[in-house]
Amino acid sequence: MSQRDPIKVGVLFSDYDAVSASETAQLKGTLFAIQEINEAGGIDGRELVAVQYDPHASAGQYRVLAERLIIKDKVNVIFGCFMSHTRKAVIPVIEKWNRLLFYPTLYEGFEHSNNVIYTGPAPNQNSVQLAEFMTSNFGARIYIVGSDYIFPYESNRIMTDLVQQRQDSEKVGERYVGLDATEKDFTDIIADIKNERPDFIFSTVVGNPTQYLYRAYADAGLDPKEMPIGSLSTSEAEIAQMGADVAAGHFTSAPYFQSIATPTNRICLENFRRRFGDETVPNQTWEAAYFQVYLFANAVRQVGSDEIDVLLPALLGSEHNAPQGRIRIDPSNNHTCLYPRIGQAKADGQFTIVRESRRAVYPDPYLVTHSLGDWTAKLDK
Amino acid sequence: MTTQGRGRPTQATPKLLRDLRTLRVAVFHPKDQDGEQLTQQLQRIGCQVQAFWPPLQEPPADTDLVFFAVRPDVVKLDFPWCRESRSPAVIAVVNYENPVIVDAILRLGVKGVIASPVRSFGVLSALVVAQYVNDELHTKDKQITRLESKLFGIRKVAEAKSILMETRGITDREAYRVIREQAMTRRVSTEEIANAIINANSILSFKK
Repeated sequence: MSQRDPIKVGVLFSDYDAVSASETAQLKGTLFAIQEINEAGGIDGRELVAVQYDPHASAGQYRVLAERLIIKDKVNVIFGCFMSHTRKAVIPVIEKWNRLLFYPTLYEGFEHSNNVIYTGPAPNQNSVQLAEFMTSNFGARIYIVGSDYIFPYESNRIMTDLVQQRQDSEKVGERYVGLDATEKDFTDIIADIKNERPDFIFSTVVGNPTQYLYRAYADAGLDPKEMPIGSLSTSEAEIAQMGADVAAGHFTSAPYFQSIATPTNRICLENFRRRFGDETVPNQTWEAAYFQVYLFANAVRQVGSDEIDVLLPALLGSEHNAPQGRIRIDPSNNHTCLYPRIGQAKADGQFTIVRESRRAVYPDPYLVTHSLGDWTAKLDK
Repeated sequence: MTTQGRGRPTQATPKLLRDLRTLRVAVFHPKDQDGEQLTQQLQRIGCQVQAFWPPLQEPPADTDLVFFAVRPDVVKLDFPWCRESRSPAVIAVVNYENPVIVDAILRLGVKGVIASPVRSFGVLSALVVAQYVNDELHTKDKQITRLESKLFGIRKVAEAKSILMETRGITDREAYRVIREQAMTRRVSTEEIANAIINANSILSFKK
């Protein structure tokens, strides 16, 4: 490869809100970063070229298309995947051909591959903070609602352990809905919640069904002041789907919210809207998808190649001024040091940040037993 | 409380998983790519790791678990600690699986196997399962020892009873009462009294 040739990168997200507005936001965040980098002169004059496929939410398609990107399109790096089972489908392909996957999504932890860089939060960077905040402000009688797959199972295990560390804790319900759940799937659950009156609801409902949970809650006349929903994945993008009035008052734990009041973030959002309009809603997965392209570009600039064996040493330990703050890839586990925050949804669809960490929190993807009151996970504000 | 979709509600996390961060693991593996991959993954899991090569004669005191590279050059060596009853669980790291190596890992009494080249994925499950199997085996061993000695005692008491019945012309129930009363007066077990009766009888019979 000559030092003038363009660098092809694979982009593998499902578009058109097939699974989740969050995954569409990841696609746009990736393309946005590539555009910005190219407009600023590329990587030492070399253009980044996105080779983009839409796997239409099918794990089999993620695997097939990842292999096509590697063999036919000859990419060395893929940016992609939202749901855990799609990442699990892509990893064997990536490892077989010794390529690199950048994965920009909050997930359940307990994974490490030398061929993956993880830029979303691990449970010690969002679940612990949410449990601490919700139990100390509302109480420890909890009702759990989740999508029926692995991320909610593991998140609910962690939340159950954490809540049990409080006195008078009680789990009054634990219910699961399909990944294609609709409004009627929540009718019965909301009736049960009304009956049990928990202190708060922990939702690990992900993707498009999220809107139906919040809507069913609002339709039942429940009040977020008394019994809010706490979530790890309900972002500005999901709120845009459900309507801001329905989400107002509920809480989300994430390292990024649009409302972060720094110049870096404000300028980034302005640039994005200028290019992509208002249709795509920036959120935590958008931000991770955006900054991870910069981590890649910085490393390629440093070593002059996008091949994993030379690229990885430059990536591990590297830092970048992301919209959420200065982030760093932890060299011991390939995950990212991030800034946990708790946001409360407002009537305009944005979040008021009610707690945030001033220091980046170290990722610990293999932590089984999380502790409330752990000062390394404490939020400052 | 109802769940839907998932078999059972989320339970508290089992102790074996909660204790991973206090687990002391010895790695007997050369310092090569596999060895580093393995120790780094154990550190990510959060275990306390020490690594040695060539293998120590026995693992450091208080070791809970040993990862052991079973290579053609260690097959001929003997590690008696592996067969001791309270020994730590051993997980073999193998780069061959021909009968010579498989036989060697059986002789080491391993509770799990991971394959070379070592990947991060699979280490956690192998570790937890080996630890579980080892704990279960120890518990069963203790139970078996206890049952064996109990059974042995019952046989002794039966033999002593029949001696008393024959020599004194008393019933089964009376014979047992004699043994129990002696045991209580002397503050020893019925098995010990039974033994004394059997020994005395064999000496007396010999005299006859």
